[in-house]
Amino acid sequence: MTVRERFPLLNSFLDGWSIFKQSLLGRIGLVLLIMFALMAVCSYIPPWIDPMYNPMTGVDPDITCCTPPSMRHWLGTDFMGRDILSQLLAGARVAFMVGISAAVMSIVLGVAIGMTAGYMGRLMDTLLMRLADMIMVMPTLLVVLILSSVFGQLNIWTIVLIIALFRWPGVSRIIRGQTLSLKQRPFIEAAKVAGASHSRIIFQHIMPNVLPLAFLFMTFRVTSAIITEAALAFLGFGDPGTVSWGMMLQWVWKTGHMFKAPYWLLPPGMCISLITLSFYMLGRAMDEVLDPRLRKEDQTD
Amino acid sequence: MALLEVDNISIGYHTQKGYLKAVEGVSFVLEKGQSLGLVGESGCGKTTIGMALMGLLPPNGSVRKGRILLEGRNILTMSDEEKRHIRWREMAMIFQAAMNALNPVQRVGDQIAEAIRVHNPSLEKGAALSQVEGLFDLVGIPRERLRDYPHQYSGGMKQRAVIAMALACHPKVIIADEPTTALDVIVQDQILEEVRRLQREFNIGIIFISHDISIVADMCRDIGVMYAGQLVEMGPWRAVFESPAHPYTKALLSSFPTLTGEKSDLVPIPGETPNLINPPIGCRFCDRCPEARTFCKATPPQWVDMGSGHQVLCFRS
Amino acid sequence: MELRKYIGRRLVQIVIIFFIILTVLFLLFRLAPGDPVSRMVDPDMTPEDAQRLMVELGLDKPLGIQYLVYLKNFFTGHFGYSFHYGEPVVNIIWSRLPNTILLFTTSIILSALVGVFLGKIASWHKGKKTDSILTIGALVTHTVFLPWLALILIWVFSYKFNWFPITGMISEDVWLDPDSGLMAKSLDVMYHMVLPLSTLFLIHFGAYLLIMRSSMLETLKEDYILTARAKGLEEKAIRDRHAAPNAALPVVTSVGLSLAFSINGGALTETVFTWPGIGRELVSAVSQNDYPLAQASFLLIAAVVLVSNVVVDVLYAYLDPRIRY
Repeated sequence: MTVRERFPLLNSFLDGWSIFKQSLLGRIGLVLLIMFALMAVCSYIPPWIDPMYNPMTGVDPDITCCTPPSMRHWLGTDFMGRDILSQLLAGARVAFMVGISAAVMSIVLGVAIGMTAGYMGRLMDTLLMRLADMIMVMPTLLVVLILSSVFGQLNIWTIVLIIALFRWPGVSRIIRGQTLSLKQRPFIEAAKVAGASHSRIIFQHIMPNVLPLAFLFMTFRVTSAIITEAALAFLGFGDPGTVSWGMMLQWVWKTGHMFKAPYWLLPPGMCISLITLSFYMLGRAMDEVLDPRLRKEDQTD
Repeated sequence: MALLEVDNISIGYHTQKGYLKAVEGVSFVLEKGQSLGLVGESGCGKTTIGMALMGLLPPNGSVRKGRILLEGRNILTMSDEEKRHIRWREMAMIFQAAMNALNPVQRVGDQIAEAIRVHNPSLEKGAALSQVEGLFDLVGIPRERLRDYPHQYSGGMKQRAVIAMALACHPKVIIADEPTTALDVIVQDQILEEVRRLQREFNIGIIFISHDISIVADMCRDIGVMYAGQLVEMGPWRAVFESPAHPYTKALLSSFPTLTGEKSDLVPIPGETPNLINPPIGCRFCDRCPEARTFCKATPPQWVDMGSGHQVLCFRS
Repeated sequence: MELRKYIGRRLVQIVIIFFIILTVLFLLFRLAPGDPVSRMVDPDMTPEDAQRLMVELGLDKPLGIQYLVYLKNFFTGHFGYSFHYGEPVVNIIWSRLPNTILLFTTSIILSALVGVFLGKIASWHKGKKTDSILTIGALVTHTVFLPWLALILIWVFSYKFNWFPITGMISEDVWLDPDSGLMAKSLDVMYHMVLPLSTLFLIHFGAYLLIMRSSMLETLKEDYILTARAKGLEEKAIRDRHAAPNAALPVVTSVGLSLAFSINGGALTETVFTWPGIGRELVSAVSQNDYPLAQASFLLIAAVVLVSNVVVDVLYAYLDPRIRY
């Protein structure tokens, strides 16, 4: 038995990879993503070199306000004399954290609800799907705004949780569809006949079949979480303790340095846009892997 | 002069895997008012021929060799503009209506009127629609359904609409490509009866393409059997049907239920159709042929005349 | 008439959803940690006024009664007084609504129409330079961060070139001048609208372009396209009369699905350009802790989103005969 035969999961992964590799969008997206990941990892380096590079609290004793890029500060400094490059790197870290946590949370929620809806059917299904419909109509950003007016300043994890609470409908819809079709399959019937309880069927039989799809589909939909957090921070409702790209834009905008400091205005916005672009490209490439119809098929008749 | 003469055409497609020789050296003749059936399994090239006759081959397909003569003029050498003029006016096609042959967001009457007005631009829309009404009477669709949309039609009615559309410009030739495959047997009968009647009334030449040899035998004066891109047997229907000469034709017919009983699928013939990118030199059927001899594989078979227009491409006979 | 029944059904649905939102908001503001009274009553009010307001809003009564009072107030248009403006909230949001609708509707219609048009062209030139440029352009503009794009546009066109005003919807000198006619005033608004509209347009048209493009490519494979070609139609007629109308339908659906996203963008745009719409009102109300105004703004925006959803659904039903008949 070859290695591929021993691990069917690995086999399908390698197959998917070869298709993925062919996609130009996928390759570019992956390169960009790796670049941002490196940025996130490197974000720990500047403060370690010298505390004046700390994105939040770093103070350069010689500088009081914004300075353009220099040898000491490769991207210049902001209105408080903090290094912009280290802020940018820290922002990458925050973006990944927000994106991944929101994705994971919404997958967990979406899978749980989708499986329940698909498996239980009837009333529960209708109720849950109606709820999903309602939530999908709501503009996430504005809901978080109104919630922050009620609960006061939100911290980053609360923001991520709320974002996830508005993302699960998309996942659950797909999972529900999968569950519905799996429900009819003979092996589920067999399990029922053998006396398996509902929860056992759901967790042992349905979930393993449903989970890979969920991960693949949603992992590359993280962009909306990153954008929402960035927009919130931009408006001034972000977590004041975290340095995110949106927060950087808020600072450059509100402190009136927008017109005079392009080295401060341009990088954060560019990063947000590029990371969105890279996830979008990856998502498209993933679609090609998952849905054979989208690939460039040969022309035959 | 024959109405339509297909002279030794070969058609191929450029695919990612190579050049697919879909049709090789096919020739036949269609006289005015006569009907010819092309029978074969999917992939044998019969639809490709239909498309080539209409000039509707996809961009990666082309007629590599041969001539297609419509009343003496070679349509393969015509310009795109000329081809567009001929399309529908002299040669029309009846598609499988279940295949979604009608535009779902356009009214049926308008779509047929469009066919008329393309070839007669000075005609007013109202006048065109009254012509369509006449066509509807002809094929048996109630006139008030003119303004309906395709999804409101039943399967049989859609097929009739497609037939009406084919007749719109009074063509000389109609190519019917599996027109009844998706319909149930009763409706199928009605439609076929309709087609027969219209053909007689307007003296139209019909090329009937189907995988079902029983239908073709019912409808056509001559039958051509195709396999793997080649014509393997051709002749008057009775000759081909009752005294098949080619082993493939025999296999096709042996699955045909006689008087009663429902239509059943063809009994699968063991083996697979040959790869048309690199087709075998010899007979293309020999791998599956129960009567094959050693030389069948290496030597391309020749046409053998069985008398009174019946010909077969095989050594055994 | 099927269409009328459909519209009726959808309207009932959104009324129900709106009620649920109304109730959730009520519970949120009354039950959340902190003093609910301070959320309804302006801390700057005199004690007598405050007391009067409390009775009016039923804040001294049990929750159930409060809810009924809340509903009654909602239907009679009593949303309380804005802490910041000191005026009845309903006046404020009512005056902001048309501004948002103007910007929002114009941007959606413009980006949808242009997106469909360019998507059609891109699909027709698939693989060639035109297609690549359009697709890449759509991809890039669609993923740009909206507030950042807005800032850049202001920086370049307002600050550097001085072509457009930096903020606001109207120029006071034009609107306060008693001699300015309707034409002058409309032009003035349009002049102010250029940059915000451009921002929204650039962000949204790309999505519609890409959807239209792939929809066209799919539609061109359909059998009725072959029929049209067989009938002898010119390629242009096939593309425009048979393929495009079918291909445009998924774009309409996509407009509906992305309405929430669009309204987020609308609020952000209004804030950056200081366009006096409800979105911006919501943002500033929240940051100033003007609870009555924030609540009402949110409700109004929710209503706008819901109604837009129905409008798009009805439009789709009208365009697709398979639904209408």
